[in-house]
Amino acid sequence: MRLRSDFIVPSLALLLCLGVAAAPQAAENKFNLKEGAKGKNCLSCHDNFEEILKKPFVHTPLKNWDCTGCHNPHASSHGKFLDAEAEEICVSCHADIFPDKPASSHKVAVEGGCVKCHDPHAAANRANLHVGGNGLCFGCHKAMGAKVGAAKFKHTPVEKGCVSCHNPHASADGPVLLKEAVPGLCLKCHDPNRQVFQKQHGDYEVAKAQCTSCHDPHGSGRKGLFYDTVHAPFDKKMCRQCHEQPTAEKPFKVKADGYKLCMGCHNNMVNEALLKRRTHWPIVDRVGCLNCHSPHASPEAGLLKKPMTAVCAQCHADTVEWHASLKVKHSPIAEGQCTACHAPHAANQVFLLKEPSVITVCNGCHEWGKHSTHPLGPDFKDPRNPNLTVDCLSCHRSHGTGHDKLMHAASQTELCTNCHTKFGR
Amino acid sequence: MRATKINIFAMILLLCPAQAALAGEALVFKPVVSIYTDADGKGFLAPEDVACSAGSIVIADTGNDRLLRYELQGNEVRYAAQFTAPQLQSPIRVQRTAKGEVWVLNGKTRRIVRLSEAGQFLGNFEMKGGPDWASVVPRSFRIDREDKVYVLDIAGGALLVASPAGDFLRQIALPAEFGSFADFVVDSGGTIYLVDSVNARIHSASREAQRFSPLSKSLKEQLRFPAYIATDNGGNLYLTDQNGGKVVVVGLDGSFQGKKSDRGWKEGMLNYPVGLCLSGDGYAFVADRNNNRVQVFR
Repeated sequence: MRLRSDFIVPSLALLLCLGVAAAPQAAENKFNLKEGAKGKNCLSCHDNFEEILKKPFVHTPLKNWDCTGCHNPHASSHGKFLDAEAEEICVSCHADIFPDKPASSHKVAVEGGCVKCHDPHAAANRANLHVGGNGLCFGCHKAMGAKVGAAKFKHTPVEKGCVSCHNPHASADGPVLLKEAVPGLCLKCHDPNRQVFQKQHGDYEVAKAQCTSCHDPHGSGRKGLFYDTVHAPFDKKMCRQCHEQPTAEKPFKVKADGYKLCMGCHNNMVNEALLKRRTHWPIVDRVGCLNCHSPHASPEAGLLKKPMTAVCAQCHADTVEWHASLKVKHSPIAEGQCTACHAPHAANQVFLLKEPSVITVCNGCHEWGKHSTHPLGPDFKDPRNPNLTVDCLSCHRSHGTGHDKLMHAASQTELCTNCHTKFGR
Repeated sequence: MRATKINIFAMILLLCPAQAALAGEALVFKPVVSIYTDADGKGFLAPEDVACSAGSIVIADTGNDRLLRYELQGNEVRYAAQFTAPQLQSPIRVQRTAKGEVWVLNGKTRRIVRLSEAGQFLGNFEMKGGPDWASVVPRSFRIDREDKVYVLDIAGGALLVASPAGDFLRQIALPAEFGSFADFVVDSGGTIYLVDSVNARIHSASREAQRFSPLSKSLKEQLRFPAYIATDNGGNLYLTDQNGGKVVVVGLDGSFQGKKSDRGWKEGMLNYPVGLCLSGDGYAFVADRNNNRVQVFR
């Protein structure tokens, strides 16, 4: 029997239409799941979720009874029966929290630690945050929390919340998660065209300046939110002591280059440094004192640009990194006190040591060195080299060696037989 | 056609020796002798530089504010003279001119001092017609074969070049992005090699160049803090790694060629070395600063 083509074509079309109509239905329940199998039925065991669901903010998949949106009900290679690794599962829906090319990112977010801030099911706080307000951020950023709490003069946006200025996940434009780089961010609230703003800045055009080079955005003990250490002429608004007039063609141009500018006030200190046998080279280069110091205000003592170790590491990164890599550390270095041993401006000694004798420098902390040591000093020749005498550095290296007690050798025997060769094997 | 092939072959043959000269064998750095004292047995104190030529060397005994001259005969070193002068304070660089004068960078006053061959003070070097000389801060200086004077001015951020008479010839701005330039060297072809100690990078400028170009990527993996640079004019640059206690050889393409010596106290080892001079007849002299000696290698 031959089927007629005018019968076959409409039949196929009908079958195709029926098939297309039935396909979504089959895809939605291709495993013949029972009603509630995607979530509601989970409550039969996970009955604590009845309480969880009473919280004001519930994660949308849970609200829709879609536990399988995140969890695999049968088996999983990931913790909590998750359907994928933590850093993948949240961004499968929330991909928009990371810009394409972020200028900065929150480490915890990048590493998939979303649940450190958010409850994946429900919470009392907006965005399912574990803790509301700044308390969440200060849970990790404890020092910042303490600083903000102690600040006499508060910055209003900080009071409103860290997210006033920071994006908690990543920022497309700003460093340290700032929604926008400084000064743009600051100028959203502070109008540089206002007369009071201009007066406070000595009539200098500061709209393009780095506000945070003088002001502490997180609050301060000083009016004007200046950092705690303020350069006296700056504090007294004597800008013209160092800079040209605000109406000059180049108002920020300083009146002298390098250290010569600072000599106007710090004459004795600079002269004293220049007369030593060894001046720290950055002092006399084209940048001068500003290699290490901030000219206006700083959170660091002595108007240092950064914490001391970071300042010294600008040039001596190899030494700082070397010490940081070692298990056995020399405490002044670990505490960022390079100046415990070194004179930062100038000295008569190699390494800009503060004292002519290494032994005197070490004895400043290691008091026992004054009364009970291996023979030390100019009367005791180093057997390894006729031009050296025995001092602390004969056996120890102040910036560390990787060995116990900063010793030059892994064992005491090896160290001692370096000189006492007759006892060596 | 055949003639062309022969010509190309001949050219290759001609070029081969030149290539070999460009990438010559680096010194082995076998210890020969160490110099510790003057004729009276007074030891060196933190010497920072050595100037050398075939047959003699001048040592900057920095901590003792003096220069010492020694004669070389084969592998033997003989004390010849000591130079002292009120202008010789903390000498950190020493160079010799073709006329035999000895020039020194006074580390305390940061002035370049001229001494006669016999050690007599001749005056301070002053560059004429260039930047205000009083504002110049020389970090290092060199005198080339033609007695032209090169000064690394860290206050002006430029390398200055003057004629033997001290007339300013030209300046090359130091690269804008840098850590800290401690030293440079000029090879026999007039190319300047400049060392950024902080980033462990070398920059170069050929004889007529208006600016420096990076020669090497950062050599931080091989060098902790390069403090001084020398050339053998045979395709190798030698850098003393002050904090690493060694000498490192770098090719003219900026590639790491190897390290010489290790940190230590025994002869052949170095402890915070600074100055390095290659005599041209197979000897290298290293100011082994924290071992208070000068070591001779070959």
